[in-house]
Amino acid sequence: MERTEKSLYTIMLIFILGLAVTGLALDGPVTTLQGFLHLQIRGARLINDFTQAGVGAAMFNAALVGLIGLTIVFFATISLSGPTIAAIFTMIGFGFFGKTPLNILPIIGGVWIAARVTRNTLGSYSLIALFGTALGPVVTFIMFEIGLPLISSIPLGIFSGLFAGFILPGVAGSILQLHQGYNLYTTGFSCGFIGLFVSGLLVASNKMEPMTIIWNTAAEPALYLLIPILSVLLIISALIIDGFANIRETLTELRDLQKLTGRLPTDIFDAGTAGSALINMGLLGLGSSLYVWLVKAPFNGPVIGGMLTVMGFGGFGKTLKNVWPVVVGVVLATLVFGKQLSAPGPILAALFCTTLAPIAGQFGIMAGVIAGFTHLFMVETTAAWHGGLDLYNNGFAGGLTATLIIALLQWYRTNRPREDFQV
Amino acid sequence: MKRKEFLGRLIGELTNFMLEGNPLRLVVSLHQEEDGAHISFFDDIPRSKKELDKIRKSLNPKTQRPELAQYYGQMAGHDMAWEARLNLIGWQIKQASVSNTDSGLQIDIWLGSDAFKPENFTLDMKI
Repeated sequence: MERTEKSLYTIMLIFILGLAVTGLALDGPVTTLQGFLHLQIRGARLINDFTQAGVGAAMFNAALVGLIGLTIVFFATISLSGPTIAAIFTMIGFGFFGKTPLNILPIIGGVWIAARVTRNTLGSYSLIALFGTALGPVVTFIMFEIGLPLISSIPLGIFSGLFAGFILPGVAGSILQLHQGYNLYTTGFSCGFIGLFVSGLLVASNKMEPMTIIWNTAAEPALYLLIPILSVLLIISALIIDGFANIRETLTELRDLQKLTGRLPTDIFDAGTAGSALINMGLLGLGSSLYVWLVKAPFNGPVIGGMLTVMGFGGFGKTLKNVWPVVVGVVLATLVFGKQLSAPGPILAALFCTTLAPIAGQFGIMAGVIAGFTHLFMVETTAAWHGGLDLYNNGFAGGLTATLIIALLQWYRTNRPREDFQV
Repeated sequence: MKRKEFLGRLIGELTNFMLEGNPLRLVVSLHQEEDGAHISFFDDIPRSKKELDKIRKSLNPKTQRPELAQYYGQMAGHDMAWEARLNLIGWQIKQASVSNTDSGLQIDIWLGSDAFKPENFTLDMKI
């Protein structure tokens, strides 16, 4: 393992342990652990803000989910770099509103079985396993909310998770071809696709319940401070890793990173130095905190999850330059359709719409704004299609938007008459 | 992945790359053995040293990235409308050599199983 990778492991461990200890300290160990156990038996479909049950419990749960992700990366002997850091940050983020150790393990197990069957290593399928945990609610919804006795619902939930994980690699590969890497949360698109079928089956069996929104609006200082503090720590770590003496080179690399399109798979840690990538992540965290503060949205579980995802993908495709046009598109759509910028749908869309950042990075500001505008009204529709079973609903909606835009652009590009053979 | 699909994707992506220069001549030569394969690409456009280094770097990544190769590597050779992405290939092959011939660019790529040894191959290898 290289020195830089060891440093990244240290940063991730400090973050995860810090989150767990803060959680335990906030509400006390007994209350936190009780809350944590309570979170395990929730259906956890969208939108289920775990901070409503206790900020400490939500933080502890998120830390454990992240620790599982980091452990898989370590034992699968793959690089802790942009893609894997993005996956772990996303897992931690969704540990605040949907993912629990109980509901992610069967999905990971299913992907592992698929790897064994196809004679691949888990390392080869690791990103699918980590991001595929978006289907966690399939497990806990079937276990605890469809009204079957626990003796049959628990095995059924585990089996459903294993099965969803098993088919995910096959679906993920084909889905990727649709948008050609212009939707960063592509596994969310795949999970939404699978979620459509699971939801359809549950509706046909009269087991599907209407979606509800659990949205914490209480002001929680620990949550207000979490992302800004983490962002500043990342920036300081960046300067330590690259060396304070090399700050000029780090900033030059950071400037060069802004020129990247961000199309999958852009490992920003590979494209620049580790320090420049960490600063990029930190700046995205500070930028998203500023936006949430400006529109007066609550710093609750889902919003923290959104910000952590934005930061994580600061190592895997997102830059300050390619995210802002898409966010502007969502803001415009929110205002045009007379919605509040701080309402659950628009604030989450403004954070997660950055899944479409590569469109702005490749095709320019106007394409990014159009993508963001389209994303808002799509994302508010798609959650109902899969019944909230795919936690990366923005990845699903973003995939549809990216597919439409790329199909049109591809059709135009492949029909350029000036470049055809002369008659 | 089946050998035919794998080869098709690699050839597709590299062909896309070479066609971006709009060559008048392009030759693809495939030589398969039981445990591996060697593909050569030739065109009639010589590249500068800087361009050769850039191609070489893309095709020979510093570290193996199975997590990227298996998932995102599937995009290789599927998309001819945008610019080619040689790193998608670099993660999936054993080795690549890049050089200018008398007439243009030559790219050689070797791929195969873990036991595959490019140096034992029957064709000459230039690095």
